[in-house]
Amino acid sequence: MNLEAAKQVFYEESEELLAAMEAALLAVETSSGTQRAEHLNAMFRAAHTIKGSAGLFDLGEMVAFTHRCESLLDRLRENELALTADLIELLFACRDHMSAMLAAVHDKRAMPYSAALEAQLDAYLNQPADSSALPPARRPEAQVERQGSGEHGVASDYWHISLRFGPDVLRNGMDPISFVRYLGSLGRIVYITTLYDALPEPDQMDAESCYLGLEIQFAAAAHVDKLAIENVFDFIRDDSNVRILPPHAHIADYVRLIKEMPEGASRLGEILVRGGALTPLELDEVLGIQREQAEAGEHRQLGELLVEERLAPPQAVEAALDKQREQVAHKTREHRAVRVDAARLDGLIDLVGELVIAGAASQLFAKQIGNATLLESLSSLSELVERIRDEALSLRMVPVGDIFSRFPRVVRDAARELGKDIQLELAGEDTELDKSMVDKLGDPLLHLVRNAIDHGIESSELRRQRGKADYGTVWLNAYHESGSVVIEVGDDGGGMQRERIRVRAIERGLLGADEVIGDQALLQMVFEPGFSTADNVTSLSGRGVGMDVVKRNIEAMKGNIEIESMPGEGTVVRLRMPLTLAIIDGFQVALGKSTFVIPLDMVLECLDLPADTVAANRHYLNLRGEVLPFLNLRQLFEVGGIAPQRQAVVVVQYGSHRAGLVVDRLEGELQAVIKPLGQLFRGVKGLAGSTILGSGAVALILDVPDLIQRAAIDEQRRLAVSSQQEAKRLSLREENTR
Amino acid sequence: MSQSLMPLRRGSAPQVEPIEQPQYLTFRLGAEVYALEILHIKEIIEYGGLTEVPLMPRFLRGVINLRGAVVPVIDLAVRFGRPATEIGRRSCIVIVEVEYADGWHDLGVIVDAVDEVLELRPDDIEPAPAFGAQLRAEFIRGMGKLDGRFVIVLALEHVLSISEMAELAGVDSLLDAETER
Repeated sequence: MNLEAAKQVFYEESEELLAAMEAALLAVETSSGTQRAEHLNAMFRAAHTIKGSAGLFDLGEMVAFTHRCESLLDRLRENELALTADLIELLFACRDHMSAMLAAVHDKRAMPYSAALEAQLDAYLNQPADSSALPPARRPEAQVERQGSGEHGVASDYWHISLRFGPDVLRNGMDPISFVRYLGSLGRIVYITTLYDALPEPDQMDAESCYLGLEIQFAAAAHVDKLAIENVFDFIRDDSNVRILPPHAHIADYVRLIKEMPEGASRLGEILVRGGALTPLELDEVLGIQREQAEAGEHRQLGELLVEERLAPPQAVEAALDKQREQVAHKTREHRAVRVDAARLDGLIDLVGELVIAGAASQLFAKQIGNATLLESLSSLSELVERIRDEALSLRMVPVGDIFSRFPRVVRDAARELGKDIQLELAGEDTELDKSMVDKLGDPLLHLVRNAIDHGIESSELRRQRGKADYGTVWLNAYHESGSVVIEVGDDGGGMQRERIRVRAIERGLLGADEVIGDQALLQMVFEPGFSTADNVTSLSGRGVGMDVVKRNIEAMKGNIEIESMPGEGTVVRLRMPLTLAIIDGFQVALGKSTFVIPLDMVLECLDLPADTVAANRHYLNLRGEVLPFLNLRQLFEVGGIAPQRQAVVVVQYGSHRAGLVVDRLEGELQAVIKPLGQLFRGVKGLAGSTILGSGAVALILDVPDLIQRAAIDEQRRLAVSSQQEAKRLSLREENTR
Repeated sequence: MSQSLMPLRRGSAPQVEPIEQPQYLTFRLGAEVYALEILHIKEIIEYGGLTEVPLMPRFLRGVINLRGAVVPVIDLAVRFGRPATEIGRRSCIVIVEVEYADGWHDLGVIVDAVDEVLELRPDDIEPAPAFGAQLRAEFIRGMGKLDGRFVIVLALEHVLSISEMAELAGVDSLLDAETER
């Protein structure tokens, strides 16, 4: 019975609902007819559910605000108001406000309040119905076909629980709310109605007596049966009135319920419909049966009740219907997914990691013993471990679309603010990525998209001059590529202006006045802190903050950034992220006494280092007619001792780069559980982390992308420097001879 | 077990509880004896199984596997500006806990030999001399008096400051790359 845990579920669910609301808002602008109605319904349902959940946690302000949004949506749904652009804007603002409220609850801050928003809401809520928008008058509900017996079940998928607390509940030291909370731990409370009909006049009221009643619609978790629910109310069953009706209970059961509860058929019936226990048709049936029984001599006033029921407020009926649609949607979702705490998943993956290490150790010992049977059984065991590892890791993978989905709104708002016409294209949303990374990618992507909109896309006039479509296009794309996930942010704008970047870089002293620098290196200058080529600062970007943060965040996740930009045609920023941060397939190599691990996904092939290459002190070799540059890790890492006679080359590929890594020995594949090197090594270059070998020794994992990139940049810079020195030397000699 | 102790304390009049003396572990490094407050020390293990990390400053000797966790190992002698510690028969790695940013981090420290655990009363500890200890002033918490000799009580938070060492490591790896060019 943990309220905090329940609250966490509330945040998550509400966030999902707000996201759904936003998606519907974006779609409603361009839709019409039944589609538009469906979107409005979706928004209404989202607001309605949030209101309900907020009520459970006693968040009065949130309930009040959400209720007003709901009313506004209801008027729209009923066509009492026309859906104007202003109104859509207001709904966006309302959604954001709800989101802010949710964040405030989460961070335990004060609830935000916006007088302007409330005023706008008031204006719309008090506006008389737009008569032109009214739909054709409602036809009276079709006559209900009634089965007299009541032997068939109702449509509701939920348990219905009726509670009438006995007067002594409080005196016995029990708190009614604690039962509700405990019930909540067995499933989800879908709808709850508090009945205070039994409250006497204040002067007759006994402060220590309990007069409360509750009607609850309850979605039980999979393992919960009737006994479990009954047990919840064990302590009060003796002196309280507890009725539990299973899902799809017989109509006759409801007839009995209504008859036995003290509130009367009309009141209870309305509650049942509102809570979704009964559809209005079913209620009609229940009341009909009751009337028949009553006419047989039990009650007198039921004829009136029925009339009243027929005229039941349309809202209640609507709500009941909405609830049912929601039930269907919810049910399908429940079948698809199980909510699991991320920490528990991480715990599982840690354990699998330990299992992998322990497995490697046993295999090592088995090899030393040389027992064939043992080796065989161990190899089938390790195959299973490998599969468990893959499954466990895939549990943490989530589609990248989870982050993409927030961008339609971002692009819409930003485009509007800048007065540009921009469309967003999304692709590869199904590409999966480690959950921990998805969470951290949101902000960097946001920066990049805003940059593309602000600096990338030109104004419409300029676009027309350049012979491009009036509207600019920004796209987000994700795909897998040799062991990494690539996420692209592209635009068809003006491209980056290299001269401008050069000038700014020289101004800021990042570049010598006549320093030669590679194209990629020049473009990467925009990631320097405080670097901006924008002429004017807009609210979106141009302050020169952000891009360096983007780069830092991406590199902290062992990813890297590439820029491709064609003047006049556009820019693509490519983020290349490792697939996972937990366990990888590795390839083990030795340098002197040390062991290093190369991510196997990046290894293409291995070969001997040709002797003539060593002799010629070249740093490239001929790989079946292709030039393959290589890095001598011995030199790079300053490994002591003498290199063996024959060294090996591991050919690695990373993105479009291909290179060789020269090592002493090849030691074969392993599963590497990545252990972070810790804070002390945060500045380290060329290493992606460490892992523990079967022998118990620590091996370091090479950061191949970083090694290749640094090698390329370093060599260019070194050559540029030496050619400058040469030029200086020549000019000096000229002066001397003169 | 702890329950059986409880009744003794509960209800009894406030009595003079013996003030716990801070305990210190003394160890040798070169010719000098140093002391570290025992609160920070998790365990002492035999030297071995060290993996060197390339391109790191010399005071960062490498990493070890401590029951599945990868723990960096520091050579205090280098950190104190002396030649690197030679590994001998009695060399040990003292595992200490250091607080930094988001929590506690384990670090290993190579020492030539571990001596003993002793108690030092606060008035047994003299303030550090202005000079003469051949150490950066903030590294010394004080000079402990022990049988007429002095032991240098180290200020762990400065000696093993992660932020400072990480900065050095970052700069050093850049410098190495620079000279390599």
